[in-house]
Amino acid sequence: MARTDYQTSLSELRGDVLYMSEVVAERLRMGLDTLDRKDDDLAREVIEGDDEINEMYLDLEQDCIDLIALQQPVASDLRFIAASFKIITDLERIGDLAVNLGEYTLDAEQDLFPDVDVQRLGDVTLEMLDDAMETYANEDADNCFDVADRDDELDAMCEAASELVMRDLIQSDRLDEEGEVESTMQDVSRLLLTIRDLERVGDHAVNIAARTLYMVENDDELLY
Amino acid sequence: MTRENMTDEASSPADGGDPTTDEMLVETSPTAGVSESDSGTAGGSRTLVEARNVNVWYDDDQALNDISLEIPENRVTAMIGPSGCGKSTFLRCINRMNDLIDAARVEGDLFLRNKNVYDDDVDPVALRRRVGMVFQKPNPFPKSIYDNVAYGLEIQDKEGDYDEIVERSLKRAALWDEVEDQLDESGLELSGGQQQRLCIARAIAPDPEVLLMDEPASALDPVATSKIEDLISELAEEYTVVIVTHNMQQAARISDKTAVFLTGGELVEFGDTQKIFENPDSQRVEDYITGKFG
Repeated sequence: MARTDYQTSLSELRGDVLYMSEVVAERLRMGLDTLDRKDDDLAREVIEGDDEINEMYLDLEQDCIDLIALQQPVASDLRFIAASFKIITDLERIGDLAVNLGEYTLDAEQDLFPDVDVQRLGDVTLEMLDDAMETYANEDADNCFDVADRDDELDAMCEAASELVMRDLIQSDRLDEEGEVESTMQDVSRLLLTIRDLERVGDHAVNIAARTLYMVENDDELLY
Repeated sequence: MTRENMTDEASSPADGGDPTTDEMLVETSPTAGVSESDSGTAGGSRTLVEARNVNVWYDDDQALNDISLEIPENRVTAMIGPSGCGKSTFLRCINRMNDLIDAARVEGDLFLRNKNVYDDDVDPVALRRRVGMVFQKPNPFPKSIYDNVAYGLEIQDKEGDYDEIVERSLKRAALWDEVEDQLDESGLELSGGQQQRLCIARAIAPDPEVLLMDEPASALDPVATSKIEDLISELAEEYTVVIVTHNMQQAARISDKTAVFLTGGELVEFGDTQKIFENPDSQRVEDYITGKFG
């Protein structure tokens, strides 16, 4: 095979993007654990670990730029690099959302809505992320659509969870209790933001699947 | 044979000049090796040159294998492929330069504006007035800049204001501003890039319909190359440009259509340049342009 160094660089890029996705998925898992256990130490670890993800992102972005500038990729190679360039952006954003979960944990004071199953929402998003990255790793166009389909289910789950919070808030007498209003509103806001952030993780997973579909099939059907 | 009587000849399956007939010809013509979406008119441009089942042999060696493709008018069409794939041979078929090679034998049909250039009644010299050519290495004559450009006009006894034609040709070749005060100086005094633009000016002075370019920038530095590339895009507004290049990025930058020839003189894929370089149909083309072989 010709252009051996170039082919090696492409393989390394693929491996590095997959490694970044593993780190990001781990941080997201940790972020969900911090919420579950109200583990402040773990939350701080997630927050401080964001620099590592940002550095990974910048390194991989530079790798993509170098490949484009120095190797002039075309056809499937070009689509692979272009897709990777976009996917690392989604991964970096998911890392930011994991940080949000850590910050919510540090700020949270009480668990007001035990009926809202944040962990279940988190599990769905993690599965979507894992599956999206598997499509990328295996160049599996078929399962890209499956990831996109599951986002509809996640959106419905998140919408139902948000409604549950609002209905419970309206029907309860928490806001009538003196001195509780401000802290209650802050906790409600944090919970709604948590639900929203997990829904956005799902969106990023769909983006990754969409870029993979473009990469493999030159098909932009899932791109917005 | 003059341009007029070549164009008016009635030996083509689609007689020249009738747009309706031309379009019917384009729609029904064979397109072996050509993407379906790319057959017929290209981006609204009519087919100017059409090859049908062209085969070329040098003695017993087959250099082109059943080539069929349609080159659109006023577009840049690039021919790429590894050494020995036949891309330059195909280029030389268009103006019958292969006639000058004793060992060369051409079969098939090659139409220029619906007239088969290999018909017995076609004068190759007259054909080459309609199909100019620029070569890899700049080859100005040991004459003045002015005479280099005017040379083609003189040997054709072409009438007209030579001063005006020379100036217009040098301007179209993006050289006028650099040489307008030294038209009497030797063309050999110019830099390599300027010499190549002088050769382009010489080629376009007789106002051809097609400009064939065989690796026109491969002997030039990057700055001179970029000037030639800019020039090619501008020339396509007036002429139909067919360029052979080993530089795939150059083909990607400047051409509207790309034909990929591979070993054995086979046209493997022909289509929009964007499609070829982003998502070619052929795995062999994919492997070639990504450098996995060749």
